[in-house]
Amino acid sequence: MNLSVFLRKNLMLLTVLAVLAALFAAAAGGMESSDFVITLLRGLSVGSLTFLVASGFSLIFGLLDVLNLAHGTLFMIGAYIGWTVYVRPDTFVDLLTPLFLIFSGFMLGDVWAVIGTRGLFAGGTKRVLPWAGSLVSALILVGVLRNYPVSIWNPEDYAQSPVSISYLAGQGQSLLPPPAAFESISPLLALAGLVLGSLLLAFSLSLFTAGRQMLVSRLGWRSFAGFGVFLLAGLLFFVFNDALTNFLAALNTNWLFLVAVTVAVGTGVGLGALMETTLIRPLYIRPIYQLMLTIGLSAIGIEMVRAVWGRPEFTMPRPALFAGTGEGCPAASLADWWQYHCSTMILLDGRIRVYNEIFVPIVGLVVLAGVWMLLQRTRLGMVIRAGVQDREMVEALGINVRRVFTLVFALGVGLAALGGVLAAPSIGLSNMMGESFLLNALIALAIGGLTSYPGAALGSLLVGLLQQFIIKYGQIGIPIPFTDVIFKPTPPIVPASTILLMVVVLLILPNGLLGKKE
Amino acid sequence: MTHLLEVQSIHTFIGQYHILQGVDARVPKGSITALLGRNGAGKTTTLKTILGLTPPRQGKVVFDGREISGMRSFDIAALGIGFVPEHRAIFRDLSVEENLKIAERKKGDYARKQDFIFSLFPDLKRLISLPGTHLSGGQQQMLAIARALVADNRLLLIDEPSEGLAPVLIEQLMQAIRQLSAETTVVLVEQNFLVASQLAEHYVIIEEGRSVKQGKMQDLIQDKATIHRYLGAA
Repeated sequence: MNLSVFLRKNLMLLTVLAVLAALFAAAAGGMESSDFVITLLRGLSVGSLTFLVASGFSLIFGLLDVLNLAHGTLFMIGAYIGWTVYVRPDTFVDLLTPLFLIFSGFMLGDVWAVIGTRGLFAGGTKRVLPWAGSLVSALILVGVLRNYPVSIWNPEDYAQSPVSISYLAGQGQSLLPPPAAFESISPLLALAGLVLGSLLLAFSLSLFTAGRQMLVSRLGWRSFAGFGVFLLAGLLFFVFNDALTNFLAALNTNWLFLVAVTVAVGTGVGLGALMETTLIRPLYIRPIYQLMLTIGLSAIGIEMVRAVWGRPEFTMPRPALFAGTGEGCPAASLADWWQYHCSTMILLDGRIRVYNEIFVPIVGLVVLAGVWMLLQRTRLGMVIRAGVQDREMVEALGINVRRVFTLVFALGVGLAALGGVLAAPSIGLSNMMGESFLLNALIALAIGGLTSYPGAALGSLLVGLLQQFIIKYGQIGIPIPFTDVIFKPTPPIVPASTILLMVVVLLILPNGLLGKKE
Repeated sequence: MTHLLEVQSIHTFIGQYHILQGVDARVPKGSITALLGRNGAGKTTTLKTILGLTPPRQGKVVFDGREISGMRSFDIAALGIGFVPEHRAIFRDLSVEENLKIAERKKGDYARKQDFIFSLFPDLKRLISLPGTHLSGGQQQMLAIARALVADNRLLLIDEPSEGLAPVLIEQLMQAIRQLSAETTVVLVEQNFLVASQLAEHYVIIEEGRSVKQGKMQDLIQDKATIHRYLGAA
């Protein structure tokens, strides 16, 4: 395409971008250069976190046509999971065995499908068995889990609440309580109960959809491998519980933070896969139900977080690499920061927080590039791009699109969880953090283009920058030309400004800046 | 005669609509079989039912001696069935090369087949890096067929290949389909009876969701009354 054709085709987009750039330059001109750089970096930080939510949301919506309104809650869950691993590794390790054993039965999905579709059960048994099996398995699991020892905090007791634990951990006074022990149930009975309950639950749930399942063409070793891996992992975590807890507790906070990020992302990926296969998949032909389901899941997720971690907000201590305050701090350069691990750094006479304003945007950029490479340079990316356009045709090529759906859903939720765990040391943990970032992400996507991955990045960047510039101008004020009035935007103008930007962009470009006509 | 594909009294619903109400078809190995009928008769649904995209509620589809009705569509395709849909379904965000590579079922399928594909459709070679949507209708049709040739398919289901193409392109396509039928069995849905009669050795006529006649194309060409009654062509 030559330049004139390109200009003609993208005239509106280029005009809007030029106007935005001019406004940005005007905003920059109205403040000190140090204020400008700091505001810019803060905008990049908020934009990066918004992007992590928006990109996953966009991938899921683009391929699956699912508006996952629980995405913000999954972002929040990522933050709380990350906090748990980072601040209370003992709780995390205690939970591994029951979780792995409960999921082990679900790894035999193909086996249950074969048993269910072979018509081994008929008449009344076929109707009663799923309900009876689910009930019995639920009773077994609840019975075991109520007595399974997990060392955990108590949100009702301030001294043992996440707020206090987090505060102490931030002061370097993290002391883990003595490990919880089996009292009213024997370990062997607990483990057997978990495996049995899991097998029965997975089998019973599969019977609900037995009539609607397609034939499984073959039942190979892979069908059993997942079960074996989960079972073995669950048992190994049980045997090495104390050793693993002590190892994590003694770990340098930088490494522990990395473990926390990995676990949070892994949990997000697992939750996403579970959510897609069990709840979203049966509702692909009922988009309204899907919407209601994700709203419901979001509310459930928030209440669960409140029940487990409590309502008050608290912070997650930053890893040692970004927490230094003593000698040599604030750092005068990146080299100084590297030497003293300062939490802040001096840049153009202004002070910036290294974690928030340098590290988070860098992770955002790495994720942007990584997912872009995945989409453009791998076979999976090719299938995703093709699937966004025509799922049926991709399936007709012999590609299991459902598996790709699950992967994309899991990837999207994993990105949200990554955003959550990265946000925790930056903005703290609260029950409503997910909602506010979901709103930001939705606005960013509307601005950038709902199913466009670069659009998600551009929209998030604009939302982040606009919010931070408005906040900054709330402090320094905007002189109104030809008057003595100095206008100071108030906090409610911050979210309103992004909505205003969205409205203006959509009026001019209904598909967003980089969206394609549907 | 060995039949690669047998469709036995299939009934297919799309939503609440009973589209196929008893279609039977036998496709001999190594031949081109045309599904004929008026618009809306159920030809495309028959192809989609074979492939499991619209699974049948009754009846059987047997491919190479194995019942495939009820299997998942990607499992059916993986048995060696290629599909060229009516509107080509070229992936617009993928280049021509990516449109071909995505059809690989085994690593290296594309590298192994590209000489054959480019000998059939030489135009595609020079367009290889263009996005799929930058192609003309004829080039898109060639790409759609080429895509179905990348994997080792034993059966090709081709829906309306001549639709919307200029006569010169139709001739090129017919040539290509004839060439590839030497290696692959083809089921062809074709509205243009002239094209179908020149390509196919066998036919199945579908009328209002039912198969009403099938046999050798040579016999049908002689049977003007049947052609007039079911296809509206003289």
